Amino acid sequence: MPAERLSFPALGSPCHLFVRHGPAGRMLEGRAWVEAMHRRLTRFDPSSELSRLNADRGIWVEVSAELEALLHACLRAYELSGGLVNAGVLESMLAIGYTRPLAAGPTAAVLEAARPLPPLPEVLELRPGRARVSGGGIDLGGVAKGWLADRLCERIGGECLVNLGGDLFARGRWPVGLGRKTVLLEDMGAATSSTRARRWGDQHHLVDPRTGLPSRGDISEMSVVARNGFEAEVAAKTALLLGRERAPAWLAASCLAWSFS
Amino acid sequence: MPAWALKAGAAAATIVFAVLAAHHVTGHVKTSGAPLHPSVLQITAGVRTADVQPVTSTYAS
Repeated sequence: MPAERLSFPALGSPCHLFVRHGPAGRMLEGRAWVEAMHRRLTRFDPSSELSRLNADRGIWVEVSAELEALLHACLRAYELSGGLVNAGVLESMLAIGYTRPLAAGPTAAVLEAARPLPPLPEVLELRPGRARVSGGGIDLGGVAKGWLADRLCERIGGECLVNLGGDLFARGRWPVGLGRKTVLLEDMGAATSSTRARRWGDQHHLVDPRTGLPSRGDISEMSVVARNGFEAEVAAKTALLLGRERAPAWLAASCLAWSFS
Repeated sequence: MPAWALKAGAAAATIVFAVLAAHHVTGHVKTSGAPLHPSVLQITAGVRTADVQPVTSTYAS
C-alpha cells in the first residue's frame, strides 16, 4: 500500500510526514502539533515559552509538560554525550552571529564573547512543572527535532515516518536514505549533523561546547541510525565533535549504522 | 651532435613541459569544499540494507 505524504516547513526546516495503514487525517493533526511546538520552542520569538524562560534568568518559571519533558531530554543528551551536546549554548549562538533565522541573514559575530560552555546542570535546573535557567540561555536546536519526531510518531500511530528537518523516526518498516545506501528502518531513528548546513562565511551553527565556537573538527557531516530520533540526533552531533579517530568506537557502542565524511 | 642542438632541445623540452603542466593545473582546479578524507559507511547487523528507492533520507538542515 503506498504511503500518504505531507510536506511543510516548520522548525526552520522542511518537514515530511508519511503514513501507511493509518488515517491520513492524522498527518494534518501532526502538522498542527509541530507548528504549535515550533511557536512554543523557538528562540527567535520573544513571546515563545522558551524565550520567556531564558529571559527570566535565575527565577523558577512554570513550564508546560512538553517543555519540561524536552528540558529533561536536554539533560539526558548532556549525559549521553559526555557533555558534548549542551543545550546551554545560547550565548555562543548569539556571539557567532546566529541571532535570528538565517533566512534574515546572520548578524556580526563577536567571537571574543564566546566562552567554553559551563556544565548544563549548572545552567538548567528542573523541578516538577518548573525550570530555572542561570547564566547562559537554552537553545533547543541540537535536541528538539529528533525528540519531536519520536513524540509525533507516537501521536500519529500506525505505520508512520516523521522526518523533521532530516531528524526522523520510523514506526513500522520504511526504506530511508543513509549516505548513498538505502537502509530499512523498523522502529528506529536517524539523524544528520553537519557543519556544511546553516553556514555563513567562516562560521556555522554547530558549536563545540569545549570552546564555545563553531566546531573545527575533521568530520563535516555525520549521519546516524539509532533506537530513536532523539538518540540518533545526540549521537550524530557527539560523533561529529569527537572526530574521525574517536567517533567509530563511540558509535559502535551505541548506534546501529553511521555514515560520515 | 653539436652542443647547441642539445641546449636547444633541452630548452624546448622545458618550455613544452611547462606549457603542458600549466594546462593541466588550470584544468584541474582544487575544489575547496571537497572532503579531505574518504567517506565512511558502517552498518551493523541490526540494520538491513535494501535495493529500493528510499521514501525519504536523513539530511542536514
